[in-house]
Amino acid sequence: MSAVPSTSGQHSGRLYWPVQAGRNVGVRGLFAVVLAFIVAYGFLFPGLFTMSGFAKFTQSWFPLALVAMAQALLMLTGGISLAIGATVSLGAVIAATTMVGPLGVAGGSALVAAAGLGIGAITGFIVVKLRLPAIVVTLAGSFIIGGAALLILPRPGGAMPEWLSDLLAGNTPAAFLLLVAIVLLWKLYLATPLGLSLYAAGENPVGAYRSGVPVDAARIAAYALSGLLSTGAGLFVAAQTGSGDPVIGAAFTLNSIAAAVLGGIGFLGGQGTMRGALAGSLLLSLMISVMFFLGFTPVAQYVAQGLIIIGAVALPQFRKVQR
Amino acid sequence: MVNTAPLLAARGVSKAFFGNPVLRNVSIALLPGRVHALLGENGAGKSTLINMLSGALRPDGGTIEVDGKAVSHMTPPEARQAGIAVVQQELSLTANLSIAENIGLGAYPRRFGLVDYSSLASQAREACALVGLDEPLSTPVGELSLGRRQMVEIAKALYRKPRVLILDEPTSSLSATETRILTDLLERLRSQGTAILYISHRLNEVMALCQHVTVLKDGSVTADRPLEGTDAAGLVRLMVGRDPGDLFPKWQASPSRTTAASVRNFSAGLVRDVDLDIKTGEVLGIGGLVGQGQEDLLLGLYGAIPAKAVSSEVNAYQALPGGVPKANALGLAYVPADRKREGLHLIHPIITNLMLPAFARLPALKPRNRGSERDLARKLAAQLGIKGDLNRPAQALSGGNQQKVALAKWMPHDPLVLLLNDPTRGVDVETKREIYIMLRQLAKDGKAVVLMSSDTPELVHLCDRVAVVREGRIAAMLEHDALSEENIVAAAVGADKPKVAA
Repeated sequence: MSAVPSTSGQHSGRLYWPVQAGRNVGVRGLFAVVLAFIVAYGFLFPGLFTMSGFAKFTQSWFPLALVAMAQALLMLTGGISLAIGATVSLGAVIAATTMVGPLGVAGGSALVAAAGLGIGAITGFIVVKLRLPAIVVTLAGSFIIGGAALLILPRPGGAMPEWLSDLLAGNTPAAFLLLVAIVLLWKLYLATPLGLSLYAAGENPVGAYRSGVPVDAARIAAYALSGLLSTGAGLFVAAQTGSGDPVIGAAFTLNSIAAAVLGGIGFLGGQGTMRGALAGSLLLSLMISVMFFLGFTPVAQYVAQGLIIIGAVALPQFRKVQR
Repeated sequence: MVNTAPLLAARGVSKAFFGNPVLRNVSIALLPGRVHALLGENGAGKSTLINMLSGALRPDGGTIEVDGKAVSHMTPPEARQAGIAVVQQELSLTANLSIAENIGLGAYPRRFGLVDYSSLASQAREACALVGLDEPLSTPVGELSLGRRQMVEIAKALYRKPRVLILDEPTSSLSATETRILTDLLERLRSQGTAILYISHRLNEVMALCQHVTVLKDGSVTADRPLEGTDAAGLVRLMVGRDPGDLFPKWQASPSRTTAASVRNFSAGLVRDVDLDIKTGEVLGIGGLVGQGQEDLLLGLYGAIPAKAVSSEVNAYQALPGGVPKANALGLAYVPADRKREGLHLIHPIITNLMLPAFARLPALKPRNRGSERDLARKLAAQLGIKGDLNRPAQALSGGNQQKVALAKWMPHDPLVLLLNDPTRGVDVETKREIYIMLRQLAKDGKAVVLMSSDTPELVHLCDRVAVVREGRIAAMLEHDALSEENIVAAAVGADKPKVAA
């Protein structure tokens, strides 16, 4: 075929980067809106462009970004989780009860990670192998996990090492750098056969199975990683507040769905991108901050937030109908 | 003829679904360097056979042999390992992944545990070049047309470097150029020693491409022989030649016919510019291969999907109904093929299902009269021979009785035009007979019955006229005198057209 440029196999950039660029197509509009919000925010609150202002802003975004990724990961497989908030709480109380004890920060972090991976893997196993609806399994899971968090720490308390709180929630952009690292790890995962299979397993499971994709393994791995991201967010929240609170994650369940939906993740599986979900969480975070600075009452904030989410989901639909 | 051992073979395999035999004692042998055609009508068991050859289904009896050795529990990955690749009829692609990522799916080249994009690019490009796909490899598959997606599907099979290539109606959505590329490619693969199984309804292609043919009819092999010395008409006879028996009531012309509905230049969904007159007192058959637009024709007339026509008249109303309530009011009723999802509310009682169209006509807040509902439902059940307690959920009924409920619910409204979408699919023989008698009786009573069917004998023995749809147009309107299975199938596959030089 003379029409095909004969550049095959010179370097992976020939395929990898165009593929990545192609995934921007659906989220360009969202990126523009996020940028506009950042400009508005910087105008209202010029402190954003100082080191500490930037640090504080990214810290307020960080846990939402993590749970949005956790939710998007599941929605890409065609699932969903209502247990994200409870898992965040569990991560927070485990961190606040172990890190100042004999286990130390390393031991505590390992425990938080193990809890997230374990809970996610078990949930995933139940959903995938027993073929139960994810929404029911994770609803039940949210009661069990939330109960476990209350058993570990019935009242807000515990403690976090002060240096860790200073590092993660102080005046340095550590949270931002951490987020960059997590995003890079995600890109790495998506470049593995198992990670890339997520899309096929979510959108066309029968076709994927016939093509030899380990559909079940890809979905269970997604649940495990989603659990890990959730308890990780909990650890961060504990460091932010300096203590553990067994119900602190409650709001994250619905906010994670809102952020993922804002970011263009579809409910049917295989639709959307992680960069979209991240942008969605950033947009949600910015919206909350901007409305706060504009002096919206909390009630008005909720109403506005809901209207914006519906609008954001309806807009692409309208465009599709018109085409 | 190449005389070598078969790479892949089925020996006397049988398969039944829910006690319903689909394949009976079928044998087929795929030899290297030979293109083997598999022919048969819709529902003859072709897809079941290829699912067994590719490990997606396990036979109930008989064996699958790879290289002459029987394999007991072949799975799809094992079939791939053995060099068997299938181009499925329904695509196995992921819209959000790029062409290259789809082609490599499930068999990515790896480096350090990651997908090796550079070798994926070169291997995928090789496969794409074979089928003439020149779109950038990074294009998401969702942006491609159906025909191009089909080419990606074929490239995906080629990427696996198969020894046995099975293609299930690969050309159904391809353009003439794409078909030519595929034909040339298969010719080349054949000369390189690949065993190819080719399933198609297009007889011209089969005649031009294949050397050997196996014909399936109702799950049994009726022919297994070299294609040399056979013509298209002979193949059609092999596909349909069956004994209709006394399944059908004796056909009698109805005395009076008036036009109940007529459309000119009617378009809806796949249907393009169709002229059609529907007359009372007759059963009008709609035939053709699956998915040529027959369903859209019915749905468009019924107002369930957007439709337009240059001129139309439905029951003396000078326009298309445009919506289901209006269609009902004009005396149109539609019975869908998928009764489990579209025709019935399975978990609800039979009586509720029977009353649904009536509920739609009542004022929204009028209290129900359960006594009269019960009486009416009992009368309907007796009339159509629906047996048993009407308070059972509809799913407790057999397929045939479910179909009767789906039909019976319209009767109280005395529809003038009945649009029936494959009403005997998955229905046992006895109920089929009852339904046939009922349809003839309805026509005799002055209704217009439009019977869309994938079952050719049904069209021949039940209908007054049959419109054969091909590619969204009415390819032939056969009057009762001209009705035969050969004529219908020939019109459906386009065998009556002059052969294209290949």
